[in-house]
Amino acid sequence: MPKTLEAVDVVIVGAGAAGSVFAATLAEAGKSVVVLERGRDHKLTDLYSSQIWARRLKWAAPLVLEEGPDSVWPNFNSGTGVGGAAIHHYAVWPRYHPEDFREFSLYGRSLDWPFEYSELRPYYDEVQKDVGMAGDASKEPWRPPGAPYELPPVLVTKHGQVIARGFEALKMRTAPLPMAVLTAPYKGRLPCIWDGWCDAGCPIGSLANPLVVYLPRATQAGARIVANAAVTRVLTDSTGKKATGVEYHTPDGESVVQPASVVVLCAFTIENARLMLNSGGSRHPNGLGNKNGLVGRYLMSHPAVSVSGLFNEEMQNAIGATGGQLLCQDPYDKKSDPSGAFGSRQWEIGLALKPNDLLGIAMTRPDIFGKSLHDFMLDGARHMGSMVGVCEDEPLYTNRVDLSKTTKDKYGMPVASIKYQISPEGRKLWATAAAEGVKIFKAAGAREAWHGPPGGQHIMGGTVMGNDPAKSVLNSVAQSHEVKNLFVGGPSVFPTSSCINSTFTAHAMSLKSAKYIASNWGAVKA
Amino acid sequence: MNLTRRAVIDKALKSSVLCLGFSVGGVTLMLTPEQARAQQVVLRTLKPDQVKLLEALAEGLVPGSVKLGVTHFIDHQVSADPGDCLLIAKYLQAPVPYADFYAAGLKVAEGMAQRATGKSLTSLDAAALEGVIKEMSKPDAVVDGYPIFLFYLCLRSDAVDVVYGTPEGFEKLNVPYMQHILPPEKWDA
Repeated sequence: MPKTLEAVDVVIVGAGAAGSVFAATLAEAGKSVVVLERGRDHKLTDLYSSQIWARRLKWAAPLVLEEGPDSVWPNFNSGTGVGGAAIHHYAVWPRYHPEDFREFSLYGRSLDWPFEYSELRPYYDEVQKDVGMAGDASKEPWRPPGAPYELPPVLVTKHGQVIARGFEALKMRTAPLPMAVLTAPYKGRLPCIWDGWCDAGCPIGSLANPLVVYLPRATQAGARIVANAAVTRVLTDSTGKKATGVEYHTPDGESVVQPASVVVLCAFTIENARLMLNSGGSRHPNGLGNKNGLVGRYLMSHPAVSVSGLFNEEMQNAIGATGGQLLCQDPYDKKSDPSGAFGSRQWEIGLALKPNDLLGIAMTRPDIFGKSLHDFMLDGARHMGSMVGVCEDEPLYTNRVDLSKTTKDKYGMPVASIKYQISPEGRKLWATAAAEGVKIFKAAGAREAWHGPPGGQHIMGGTVMGNDPAKSVLNSVAQSHEVKNLFVGGPSVFPTSSCINSTFTAHAMSLKSAKYIASNWGAVKA
Repeated sequence: MNLTRRAVIDKALKSSVLCLGFSVGGVTLMLTPEQARAQQVVLRTLKPDQVKLLEALAEGLVPGSVKLGVTHFIDHQVSADPGDCLLIAKYLQAPVPYADFYAAGLKVAEGMAQRATGKSLTSLDAAALEGVIKEMSKPDAVVDGYPIFLFYLCLRSDAVDVVYGTPEGFEKLNVPYMQHILPPEKWDA
């Protein structure tokens, strides 16, 4: 028999980017809030400067079974513990463009969001002010309307300058990369010292992560964060139309019920779908809020290509931010790809490099080993340039998160089973980017240039928003069409991926939903 | 030898970057993999024949990695919960349990050596070892149904971690480490 706790106004599942925004907004609106986080607690002092130790921050349990031909790289792209994936994210924060919200209406492809850019813009602006963003809007010809950046742009070293030469030679434009990284003191937080440890977590708090922006606000306003609480089900009343709380398990196996008036799932893309699918019952035989069978569908990940090159210059590649220094969105137009593929692309230029790890110098040339490896490492440490091309992935009905029929986690909950294939359009965009990247590096003067294999950045979709309850899981405030006091936060709610890093938009969307809940409390909880 | 106080502190800080809890005589000591190897700390998972194969391959992949304790690093990590694992196998979606994945990889690599040369990996000369590793390094190589290229990537990366992923490793490349916080001396795997 599970232990039942005292009821709260709002229970939030997951203490990452989305969960922290919901928690701060709703606690500050006077609601009693509990945040349940499956992983361990994290403090800034846990963020060690080491690519090896950074791997503790990333997900590997519960297991995800991948059955499709491609991977969404769940362990690398997800986080575990308080702060979630946002604790190790790179803070590259461009905005979605207006056309990303209306792809079906404008182009007859993909899906539409249930609102336009103009409706999300105020939330982008507010989040930007909360975190303090660095950039130069005047130099971003592609940027949608928005408030000017709070802070001057991030550092551009020789690394960025040399690669920018190649863009210029090919008549492509670059601009400072918009980042949620402080370049000057801001609201009590210190500026970045450009040591390139973003991936290992930023213990000085210049990179906006939940531990330094929204979670302190949430706890200050009375929200309670509970780590090591593995939520396995959303509970509903006998009608199936109202969520009554969640059930979770403690590490020692105790089962606990947390009753709440409103439930918000912010457990990241895979787990949001998994939780809804596992919360079925007689009223929801296919899973909670899943009458149309769309929970778990339209899973997306950005096809990404890493481009590396060796230059004659001293590149200063150890210095800077891991996410890069410069941005190019010239290939953003969805109908302009030379292959005829539909979708957007962007370049993130001048990523700070470390010798080891997945994005480190050694891994750029996995074919080199033995005695020649050291020479390559020495050369790379001084002369390597790096950039990443990010491509749009179309939402495909066949790409999905499901519950495994064979494997359960230690709490008896089926693990997630994923079938994913990069969309055909995304694969074509990737091929264009791979060739273009090498060309840019050669134009910049690289004596050698090459690209890596297709990778997957970010994980989106699975609980997509839409106006039509028959064609989507959530409405325009990420509220379940079927269970009115159930909301979802994070990139799982995105109907399209664009080619944009997802964390800024996840923040803005979560703020939109949270403000809706606070302003419509009576109707939402009824 | 003229060691300044600063140099002693720097040395102590650097050596703690890969300090892991190794059990010695029932007591957990915080050691680097290099120290664990030098002190002949008993391995938890890897068997002696697997160690020989692993060290032959690791040294062929990244010279110096054996002395720096790649065997103890891998053994320590494949013995831990996958969620806490510090190996790149985690990022590369290698199948769990990682101990089985590494055991199978070593067996397949040994089979490749035997088929190609009639000898064990442990008795190959440098050129023959290079030939076997080259076969393993072919992208998407699969042998006997086992993803040997994935194993190659993992083992190479583990060896790179111990040789280049620490402050001493950065120093070998003249790369500034610029740490905020070095890992603590105590950590329970």
